[in-house]
Amino acid sequence: MLIACPYCGPRDLSEFTYQGDANRTRPNPMSNDQSAWNAYVYERVNTAGDHREFWQHSGGCRAHLVVIRSTLTHEIKSVAFARETAK
Amino acid sequence: MADIVSPLEPVYRRGAHGDRDGGSAVTLCETRPGSIVQLAAWPGREDAMRAAIRDATGFSLAQAPGTGHAEENRSAFGFAPGRWLVVDQIEGIGETLREKIGTDLGTVCDLSHGRTAISIEGEKAERVLSKLFALDFAIDAFPVGQAKSTAHHDVFTLLQRTGADRFELYVYRSFARSFWHLICASAEEFGYTVE
Amino acid sequence: MSPRRAHNGGRIDRSTTLRFTFDGTAMTGHAGDTLASALLANGISLIGRSFKYHRPRGVFSAGIDEPNALVTVIKGNLREPNVPATQIELYDGLTVESQNRFPSLAFDIGAANGLAGNLFAAGFYYKTFMGPVAGPLKGTRFWMFCEHFIRRAAGLGRAGHEPDTDRYEKMYGFCDVLVVGSGPAGLTAARDAAADGKKVFLAEQEPELGGTLRWKSAAIDGRPADDWVASTLAELAALPNVTLLPRTTVWGYYDDNALGALERVCDHKAHAAIGEPRHRHWTIRAKDVVLATGAFERPIVFPGNDRPGIMLASAAARYATEYGVLPGERIAIFANNDSAYEAALSLKDAGAEIAVIIDVRAGVSVAARELAREAGGELLLGYAVTNTSGARRLREIEVQPFADGKIREGGTRAFVVDCLAVSGGWSPAIHLASQAGHAPQWDEALQAFLPPAPTQRWTGAGAFTGAFSTAAALGDDIAVNEPEIEYDPAPVFEIRPSGRKSAKAFVDLQHDVTASDIRLAHREGFRSVEHLKRYTTLGMATDQGKSSNVPGLAIMAAARGLPISQVGTTRFRPPFSGVSLGALAADRHGHFKPERLTPMHDWHVARGAKMYAAGLWHRPMIYGTGGETVEQAYVREARAVRETVGIVDVSTLGKIAVQGPDAAEFLDRVYTNMFSTLPVNKARYGLMLREEGIAFDDGTTWRLGEHDFLMTTTTANAGKVMQHLEYYLDCVWPELRVHVTSVTDQWAGAAVAGPNARHVLESCVDGTRVDNDALPFMGIVRGEIGGAPVTICRLSFSGELAYEVYCGAGHGQHVWDALMAAGRTFEIVPYGLEALGTLRIEKGHVTGAEIDGRTSPRDLYLDWMLSKKKPYVGSAMVDREGLLAADRIRLVGIVALDDRPLNGGAHIVERLGEEPRGSIGHITAFCFSPALGKYIALAIVKGGKARHGQRAYVSDPVRNRFGPVEIVSHHFFDPEGSRMHG
Repeated sequence: MLIACPYCGPRDLSEFTYQGDANRTRPNPMSNDQSAWNAYVYERVNTAGDHREFWQHSGGCRAHLVVIRSTLTHEIKSVAFARETAK
Repeated sequence: MADIVSPLEPVYRRGAHGDRDGGSAVTLCETRPGSIVQLAAWPGREDAMRAAIRDATGFSLAQAPGTGHAEENRSAFGFAPGRWLVVDQIEGIGETLREKIGTDLGTVCDLSHGRTAISIEGEKAERVLSKLFALDFAIDAFPVGQAKSTAHHDVFTLLQRTGADRFELYVYRSFARSFWHLICASAEEFGYTVE
Repeated sequence: MSPRRAHNGGRIDRSTTLRFTFDGTAMTGHAGDTLASALLANGISLIGRSFKYHRPRGVFSAGIDEPNALVTVIKGNLREPNVPATQIELYDGLTVESQNRFPSLAFDIGAANGLAGNLFAAGFYYKTFMGPVAGPLKGTRFWMFCEHFIRRAAGLGRAGHEPDTDRYEKMYGFCDVLVVGSGPAGLTAARDAAADGKKVFLAEQEPELGGTLRWKSAAIDGRPADDWVASTLAELAALPNVTLLPRTTVWGYYDDNALGALERVCDHKAHAAIGEPRHRHWTIRAKDVVLATGAFERPIVFPGNDRPGIMLASAAARYATEYGVLPGERIAIFANNDSAYEAALSLKDAGAEIAVIIDVRAGVSVAARELAREAGGELLLGYAVTNTSGARRLREIEVQPFADGKIREGGTRAFVVDCLAVSGGWSPAIHLASQAGHAPQWDEALQAFLPPAPTQRWTGAGAFTGAFSTAAALGDDIAVNEPEIEYDPAPVFEIRPSGRKSAKAFVDLQHDVTASDIRLAHREGFRSVEHLKRYTTLGMATDQGKSSNVPGLAIMAAARGLPISQVGTTRFRPPFSGVSLGALAADRHGHFKPERLTPMHDWHVARGAKMYAAGLWHRPMIYGTGGETVEQAYVREARAVRETVGIVDVSTLGKIAVQGPDAAEFLDRVYTNMFSTLPVNKARYGLMLREEGIAFDDGTTWRLGEHDFLMTTTTANAGKVMQHLEYYLDCVWPELRVHVTSVTDQWAGAAVAGPNARHVLESCVDGTRVDNDALPFMGIVRGEIGGAPVTICRLSFSGELAYEVYCGAGHGQHVWDALMAAGRTFEIVPYGLEALGTLRIEKGHVTGAEIDGRTSPRDLYLDWMLSKKKPYVGSAMVDREGLLAADRIRLVGIVALDDRPLNGGAHIVERLGEEPRGSIGHITAFCFSPALGKYIALAIVKGGKARHGQRAYVSDPVRNRFGPVEIVSHHFFDPEGSRMHG
């Protein structure tokens, strides 16, 4: 599988580290809402289809990327810097 | 001032090695630059950082990822979003850069001891590197001056192409000796010279 | 009668004679021979014994599809088993052994299995050995008894026990077009792509390029086919944009057009040249792929179809034409299609006698009749081979009339022949396409599975697409002169004898799977192709069913009364053919494995340090002096630290530069405690949690400037902590102006610890004072040692007065030498990981053994580090009910009351002799404490502090270690910390 790093270009999967589901929103740090924190830390949707996820180009420029990948075909629909799309 | 000891010293053997019949299709050299400095710009300040690099080195680097430039004793290149490496044979260039680069622009991080610089040159340089890195080394895919960040297994490496058949490699110092063994072995079938 | 070398002909170099040995017998062959062709040329037709029944087997094919002629190649101390003789290029000195025979190939005791035929039918092992004991000769326990004998008798070659000393390497290739296969279609595709200026790789698994043109009789552009091949190859070789890869098998097709290929660089040589690997593993990324992988000829299944001398028709023709070897003197052809008629003519041209051509079809094309007439011999249409005889090779065949898929009784005729060339049709080699495509589709006209619709960027060419003629492979622009046969295969896969007991009819020759095994599987309900495969092991041998798959499916389809198209086929998975593990591991293994060395590594080794691999790092475990045990050595080292002074290499600690105006704020967020209040030139111990409130890592962070911090991490977690920080900066708080950079390798670190540590520094540090006022606990100063700049932080892991001295890594040895020299007056002792561990256990400091991904800060009594003034990663979840429960396992100290060593992982129980299932916790770290004169340990135990002073027991059945212990505070030594603050 190749991931097209926006900085480095297409690179082999082995240069990347999966960094988790990118659909989550971290609750306000001051929040004590345990169910919100539980959802953030533990609850994941097991998507069959397009999935938004974080990958780090750990064996390259080290940037975190937001990748939209089909869990059915491995097809990657989009890759962008996490800094620019996260939040 | 104490001398800087290279991690390659006990294993660095100058001269011709490997298949002598094949001539010497590759030359390997530890270039031992005096300064290796990382510059990192805050988001939005990349252009100002490139201007600072130009002031300090005389190189004007284009905006595109991995763009770099190299001359005899000095080189600079981008290797990650907002990050550049400046390499100079002279020690202490980090101080010069630190003066030019204020907190509002970004940060300067001295890596002179932390990275080992190895050059590989010769007609088989691309072929030897193709054994180690999953990169296309053809000159149209990897033009002169350009740099790339990659890894050989756990050995994180920055590569800059500094000539049609020359590359400079920067590896973490602690890995340098095992990486040196590997690159020498990879060049053995072509014959290589350590300079 | 036996096979022999023809008097002339073939593409071998008859002027070069090569010596080789087969089962110790010296033989010769020629350059250009394979082992298979050379053995046939030497009159050898019995090459191996079969898997289950130990039946004599000979050469069946001439290529990668060989199921029978597997041998073991011996090179020096190394044995490589199960190599097809058809794939071994002859070289001078080649040594091979036959397999699966005892005591010898000709007289094999195991052949008695053949007499017990039905015993070993499909499912024999499951039925006999699975489940409860139901009699004396049944069940799982009976398997335990029989396994040794069965494993010895069954199977293939034996691997060696010597380590593989060969070299392997990896290579990455990038191209516009990868052409797989170098037959007429592959050569044409490569030439066309190269002419378009594309960067082309042409991979061919055989040593010579050209494919079928090396042995087919077609004329191309008015020239012999091999002339055309030679000139096309010369043209391609001269192009800078073309890379020819002979001996390279493309074995796997992966996502994004990445393909795996194995290049056998020097298997065909007695010795590798300097620097040459045995195998080179290619990862090829191609924009486009052309699959020109050709087709495999199929056998026909009939009784007695496995005798040496029976082979595929195309293989027989290839031996005659390419290698100048006659597979027999008097040959019969048995076919269901026209292609075998060309083979017959080739064999006749090479000097063999064609005794008879037997065709199951009632009528054949005019071209085929013409070929049969030229080849000579009788043409029997509407006949089939129904039996064969001959002890160690074929002697005679029986044929009977055959119509409508059935044998007609009567009319049996016999022919004395020493070779039977069989053609049951052709199957395109769709293996790679199947890995990168949808399900293959059955084609009724061609009686074959055709390539599926692609799911990746590839196109097909030549026989791979089902176009089996040379003309079709070359395309319209090139004139080809070849016999105009109609391929026209009859849908006949098996000649099934009616009624009477007949010889075994083999489908999978390598796994000894017969047609009746398939019918047995059907009767027992294993009817889907996937069940069939697993129940009978059809197609699961080293040849992966290249010749047996389609006949096997056809027999199952017939049993089910369904057309083949509805039965379907199993999916071909990688690898297409065997890939050496060495090539896959390559430089990840052995001498070239990456390793990390500290700047003082050579000094440690020269001082006799016993090195210990901590991840990729090599660290001194102890510095052995003559005759000491490990325990004696670390006790001596640790005692020296408590009594005078010791020095330890801490360069492996993870070091991260945290820089920027928001650095302090960032550290407040990732550490549980406060860093924004830390003054410049001070260090603080910090603890990081994961979001769920579990301890993650600890270390000290030094404030070197207002916006400049140096974070240290544990050696093991350096990479993980770096990623953790980068994640938060990129994904959670991109607004923070902070840069993190790994500077682990930039700094060498030495910790100098012990009551005399300050004296050591005082006598070698220039440019700064190091007394208590200038350098208080957790203070930082900068100075020089021996002219090298150093940064010194007074902090302690051992509980003694201690300093960490950091300098540029290139100065590391220099500074270390200066510290050693300065310490000589105080009898400074270098200490290793074991002593380091002992000192920290005595102090009750936690490390990775306690921060194990399950413990919370409270479990480790680190609650004092949890700031109440600010949120931090983990703060929202660290107070969850479950993490506050009273019965959580928490950190304690353990003292052995029986003066015997303790072990990590041993359980703590409440009553003597209790099994570990009554466990109340476990030991995480242990040592002999020189300070206490006792065997002690850290443990995490239910209730923690509440159990201090209680008696318990260690229960370690694995090491048979049981005994009384006392649970105590984990602060074994100097709990007030007076020594390090002094």
